[in-house]
Amino acid sequence: MSNKITIEEVKRLAGLSALEFSEEELEAFIPEFESMLELVDEVKNCDIGEVEVDYARHSLAECREDEPKESLPQEEILLNSPKTKKGSFCVPKMLD
Amino acid sequence: MQDFDIVIGLEVHAELKTNSKVFCSCKNQFGQAPNTNCCPVCVGLPGALPVINKKAIELVIKAGLTMGCEINELAIFERKNYFYPDLAKAYQISQLVRPICLGGHIELKDKDVRLNRIHLEEDAGKLVHGTQAIGTLIDYNRGGVPLMELVTEPDITSADEAVEFLTKLRQKLIYAGVAECKMEQGGMRCDVNISVKPKGSDKLGQRTEMKNLNSFKSVYRAINYEANRQIEIIKNGGQIVQETRKWDDNHEKSISMRKKETSSDYRYFPDPDMLAVEIPREDVERIRKSLPLMPDQLKAKFINEYGLSEYESDILTKEKDLADYYNDVLSHYNQPKIVSNWILTEILNKVKDEESEEIKISPCDLAKILKLVEDKTVTRTNAKEMLTRVWENGEKVEALVKEFGGNVDEEALKTLVENIIKNNPKAVEDYKTSDTPEKVFRWFTGQVMKETRGKANAAKAEEYIRELLK
Amino acid sequence: MNIGEMTLIELADNIKAGKVSSYEATKYYVDKCKEKASLNAVLEVFDDALDKAKEMDEKIKAGFKGKLAGVPVIIKDNILYKDKIASCSSKFLEKYVAQYNSTVVEKMLNEGAVIIARANMDEFAMGSSTENSAFGVTKNALDPTRVPGGSSGGSACAVAAGLAPVALGTDTGGSIRQPASYNGVVGIKPTYGRVSRYGIVAFASSIEQVGPLTKTVKDNAYMLEVLSGGSEHDETSLKIDVPDFLSQIKGSVKGMKIGVLKEIESMIGGLEVENAYRQALQYLKDNGAEIVDVSIPSFSLTLPCYYIIAPAEATSNLGRFDGVKYSRRSAEAKDIDEIYVISRSEGFGKEVKRRIMLGNFVLSSGYFDAYYNKAKKLQQKLKNEAKEAFAKCDVLLLPTTTGEAFKIGEKANDPVSMYKEDLFTIMANILGAPAISIPYGKGKNGLPLGIQIVADCLNEGLVYNVADFIEKGYRG
Repeated sequence: MSNKITIEEVKRLAGLSALEFSEEELEAFIPEFESMLELVDEVKNCDIGEVEVDYARHSLAECREDEPKESLPQEEILLNSPKTKKGSFCVPKMLD
Repeated sequence: MQDFDIVIGLEVHAELKTNSKVFCSCKNQFGQAPNTNCCPVCVGLPGALPVINKKAIELVIKAGLTMGCEINELAIFERKNYFYPDLAKAYQISQLVRPICLGGHIELKDKDVRLNRIHLEEDAGKLVHGTQAIGTLIDYNRGGVPLMELVTEPDITSADEAVEFLTKLRQKLIYAGVAECKMEQGGMRCDVNISVKPKGSDKLGQRTEMKNLNSFKSVYRAINYEANRQIEIIKNGGQIVQETRKWDDNHEKSISMRKKETSSDYRYFPDPDMLAVEIPREDVERIRKSLPLMPDQLKAKFINEYGLSEYESDILTKEKDLADYYNDVLSHYNQPKIVSNWILTEILNKVKDEESEEIKISPCDLAKILKLVEDKTVTRTNAKEMLTRVWENGEKVEALVKEFGGNVDEEALKTLVENIIKNNPKAVEDYKTSDTPEKVFRWFTGQVMKETRGKANAAKAEEYIRELLK
Repeated sequence: MNIGEMTLIELADNIKAGKVSSYEATKYYVDKCKEKASLNAVLEVFDDALDKAKEMDEKIKAGFKGKLAGVPVIIKDNILYKDKIASCSSKFLEKYVAQYNSTVVEKMLNEGAVIIARANMDEFAMGSSTENSAFGVTKNALDPTRVPGGSSGGSACAVAAGLAPVALGTDTGGSIRQPASYNGVVGIKPTYGRVSRYGIVAFASSIEQVGPLTKTVKDNAYMLEVLSGGSEHDETSLKIDVPDFLSQIKGSVKGMKIGVLKEIESMIGGLEVENAYRQALQYLKDNGAEIVDVSIPSFSLTLPCYYIIAPAEATSNLGRFDGVKYSRRSAEAKDIDEIYVISRSEGFGKEVKRRIMLGNFVLSSGYFDAYYNKAKKLQQKLKNEAKEAFAKCDVLLLPTTTGEAFKIGEKANDPVSMYKEDLFTIMANILGAPAISIPYGKGKNGLPLGIQIVADCLNEGLVYNVADFIEKGYRG
């Protein structure tokens, strides 16, 4: 399979990524991205036969006990926030 | 509507009754100041990692066991990726491939509704939309509260059935101690998938989804509205568009949400910060054994073991709190029929009068009063008065007994009875000659009670009267 | 002895013995950081370092005997240290102040460490040269025209240039070992789960680990013991006892089985590193080790496998950098969608964007099974193959890189050739296995090369033993 990727496809991925690229950036991006796809296609195209993935696991009994602990103070939680109001993180008004 | 079948599937979210959140140890608590039940995990700070709460898994298993689900031996947690400000990490930890519970069903009056699955996930934070100047405020206290999501098969065919299903589900979850289902606090929410098709047709119609209905009434209205809307479109030769719609309870109509919602690609994949959870069969059995009786089982017990009527049992088991109250009273005073009578009349009347859910007398106090009636220390009438005083003023039963009974000493009672007999020779004569002496006898006891304002020990009074009338 | 000449263990001993104060040691290294600022190895020297050292001196006088009592340490800039900036060398987190301590910082502080600076890195640990730092490239400690490797380039350079006796790095695909090799120092990627990731800004959660970079193998073993141990905040950290790694260094390789990968043999011919690799093998053989031929047939697929798993996880892990809760929010953004898109587009560098895009590609509907799921199966297959290989040998010997450090800018416009830097190191991450890089041999320009020793999971002891033995026999 060829690794040609369409502009539409790149835009779809950018949408999922919450990123935007200028036309200029796209020009450089597309060939780079195609060479990356060429690399990962080695996995897609390889034959590995039947493999059962063995998930890293623990037993129910090893899970955390339901005991509440102290939370962080509100001002500590909001410390790095670019904008806060009334003890909350704040963004421009959204339509719900 | 008669020419169409309605096909409904429900997705129900319920907040689980745990002390701490599902992936961190912050309190699972409603109604706190914004962002005060938060830690690095809740706010998605860099480097924070989820650590799963055992109780949350156990509660989902519990829910599943009350509905006949199969419990997976290995549960996997996945990330559901999307950007939204109430979602601190830009992904929700949920379950797709291996949920905790599979299958199962809930019995309604006329049918079984099959379940597809029940899984565990985390709740999102809360957005408060202010004015343009204030903007939208984000509070992550609810972020990470454990949620179970139950998904039904499309077996429901009317708004009535949907409400019946939800009522049953809610009852089970509350009984099993899985969730409190406080609808007004968003503790239980429902998404409705609905489609219509010509009566008898095998071909499913295009469906729409209505999200976040938070009362049974909205579910009922939303289903009827949406079914009608779809039928009208089809009748007019139109096509149903697959979309998510928002139910507006105030205007009683549904509106299309931005199409963006439906085209999303959540890119689920196993959360690499988490381990899969093995659920040994012994644990499932342990949890099964810990299950309390479910409403249907409890009702059967009330009918078969306590000799209550179907009607009484129905009322007593409808709300778990009431059934618990009934059982508690019985543990102090084991007279099922008498206790049931009192609860169904006196207690529920008071609850109804006050339009509150609260029973303002402890099971122990009610049992005490009923015992006093039984040994005739107080009369039924006085017992009701005592109940009212406890209910309204929180008075102590022990103190009230002094006022309402048992406090006329034996000598005084004897003297009183002697006086009454002496002063009523005609009645004494009647007693001796009447065909119905018991009626006259009751007149005498009535006189004693009248004189003592009901405070005499009725058994003692009767004993003296009988003795002196001999 | 001059403070700068002491190993980590020697310095710790001298401080404990009262021969050197923490203040003297800290002052020495803080001054070095400033003196060698042109290397751009550290992004910030913490202004409270000397005060902390004084406090430690008081504690030591009062009898405190932590393993790192008074010892200066540098941390990579993706490791959270409360109240200090952790920027991940990204514009996005330029002003991000850690709100809590990572487990590793907590453990070091409990043992008395004085954390003096944060080290430069490739943005969000994505890269192999430190050229992806938003705050300028770090220079190789031995040749300022060359890269220090990456992503822990600042940490490796710091140790090599004598800015600290030890620095922490993180290794997702070789990010400790490759820069260790390029700067001529020792760096280990421990067994996955050996060290808690709590408080490490996540790149690829399922394969990355924190590890120490040091001047000697013994220092490394000493430091890893401090960092190891499960955390209640990290499900994936191993809740097992921490071994005394130093005691597992026996000073002999007699009778040990050293595995040689058939797949390496077929690739190494003509590479700059070939000689060093063969000499190391010969040296071990000469000293009583048995050389065993083993195979991990899917070895060549480790690189593409990594470039599916790591970007997939990174895409999701970096979603939280959305301009809502902390740090950068674009001044241009007028609504929530713009907050996301503009903040991220302005805040992330090119390589980070590429990997986010690749991650979304391999996870997105229609591609998920062919890429992500297939890669996870391939990872399992590799683990199965490695199990067979480790049944026949104690450790594997591999080169760390193909050659010595490359020139700054040399691979800047060719991401895939940059990715191939990690050709030999990625396997250990995919397997979750411990792997160390130690200096061995010199390249064409006289710059250091590195040899890797890889063992089966939890066998850091074997790794350290062989590494120490090679180190003793090599005087570069």
